[in-house]
Amino acid sequence: MVKKIVVLFGVIGIVFLGAEEPKNVYEKNCIPCHRYAPASLEKLFMVYLKRYSAELSLKGALKDFLKNPTESESLMNNTFIENFSVKDKTTLTDKELDDAIDTYWELYDVRKKLK
Amino acid sequence: MLVSKNKGTSLLRSSEKSSLLRFLALYFILVTMILLLLGIFYYQSQEKLMFSNQRTILSEYANKQVQALKQLHNDFPHHTIYPRSDKYRSAIYDIEGYQIFSLLKHENIRFDKEIYRIGNSIHFLKNLDDYYLGTKYLFIEVEEDNVWYKETMSNILAFGTLTLIVLIIFGLFFVSIFLRPMRNSIMLLDDFIKDTTHELNTPISAILANIEMMDTSIMSERNEKRLSRINIAAKTVSHLYQDLTYLTLSHNRESKDEWIDMKQLIKDRVEYFAILAGSKKITFELDLKESAIFIDGVKIARVLDNLISNAIKYNKRNGKIFITLRKSYLQVQDTGIGINSKKVQDIFERYTRFNSSEGGFGIGLNIVKGIIDEYELQIDVESVIDVGTTIRIDFTKGTLDG
Repeated sequence: MVKKIVVLFGVIGIVFLGAEEPKNVYEKNCIPCHRYAPASLEKLFMVYLKRYSAELSLKGALKDFLKNPTESESLMNNTFIENFSVKDKTTLTDKELDDAIDTYWELYDVRKKLK
Repeated sequence: MLVSKNKGTSLLRSSEKSSLLRFLALYFILVTMILLLLGIFYYQSQEKLMFSNQRTILSEYANKQVQALKQLHNDFPHHTIYPRSDKYRSAIYDIEGYQIFSLLKHENIRFDKEIYRIGNSIHFLKNLDDYYLGTKYLFIEVEEDNVWYKETMSNILAFGTLTLIVLIIFGLFFVSIFLRPMRNSIMLLDDFIKDTTHELNTPISAILANIEMMDTSIMSERNEKRLSRINIAAKTVSHLYQDLTYLTLSHNRESKDEWIDMKQLIKDRVEYFAILAGSKKITFELDLKESAIFIDGVKIARVLDNLISNAIKYNKRNGKIFITLRKSYLQVQDTGIGINSKKVQDIFERYTRFNSSEGGFGIGLNIVKGIIDEYELQIDVESVIDVGTTIRIDFTKGTLDG
């Protein structure tokens, strides 16, 4: 049951998320599952950043993975995959996916945070 | 066509001088270019040497910075302070070339060179395999030590100048060797003329004196004509003798400058050439005002004789010679064959003639030019083919009366 929760995007409805209404695709479809995962979205972002370096390459790689998630393309370690398996294919449209990834980038872009 | 010539004369002809100058200019340009190239190679090698010395230190700084970036990446976002050092400045760029963070003084970075100079700084580029904080390119910037630059530039200037001077001395030496045959041939001709001149004096003087003494009133008309022809021929030879004497012996003679009445002198010389002009039915038209100049009498007579003699020699039959004298200038105009505009430049060269069909050595105008230059006068030549030639001499203040 826990495995399913981790790998699914956008399946759990907003009724389980409390009083605050989700504002965008990212909050609606990504946060609900990842809040229960051992690796936070922030940590995952740093993993992706270390692998793909720049905005376009990171966004492209993430989109490809969400549309067609495979073990070989996953950046998570083997223990993680053994425990939680690879996520299911996204049900979001391309447009929704782009919006979610854009929000994700904007949220954790290191350029804005470095001092 | 208007030509102004006011250059000094010397043993070298001006064509020889211009060849010499052209060769020297070309030689100078080539030598300078070669030295510049050598200077550039030397500069580049010194720069490479400096870079190789700097590379070790900068590489060490870069490794240190990578470790700090790795640490920051792992601690992010709890720690967000970019790692700094007082020994160097740094900047990080992502794989697409966008800046992530920079502390550089010079932001004009280059991705194609590992190490390069920019302003007074040196940039060192390190490519990262693990993109900590997204960093693909790490730039390390340090202030440049300009000692090597000053040393290199002073070496280039000192050795370059020294080599240039030595090569120019070599060039001059080679030019003098190359020009020697040409100079020898000119000197040989000068010597020949000088030697023959001495032999002409006595017979010409004897002929002219005897012609003057002959009583033409008792001669038949035919003999009078014959005598006139002998007179013309003798005067032509005499004129040539005067030129040759001036040319070969004038260097040993000191100038005796005095006020010369130009109007009277022109009248005298026109009268002298009257028989010669009459043989071609050439008439003189004189428009003379009073003018006196401070000059050597023999020299100004050579100038006048040569201008008039040329005006007769290159005139057409039944032609005219206009001589105009004003306070500040003298002008001799003929109605002759004219000179090709391309050749006007060369008429003052020694052994150059207007027209090879006419006799002479081509030394007359060279003498004129020498005297004109000596007294710093101005000579202008205007000529139109088949219309005629006008030569004008402007007197300067120093030679003008009052």
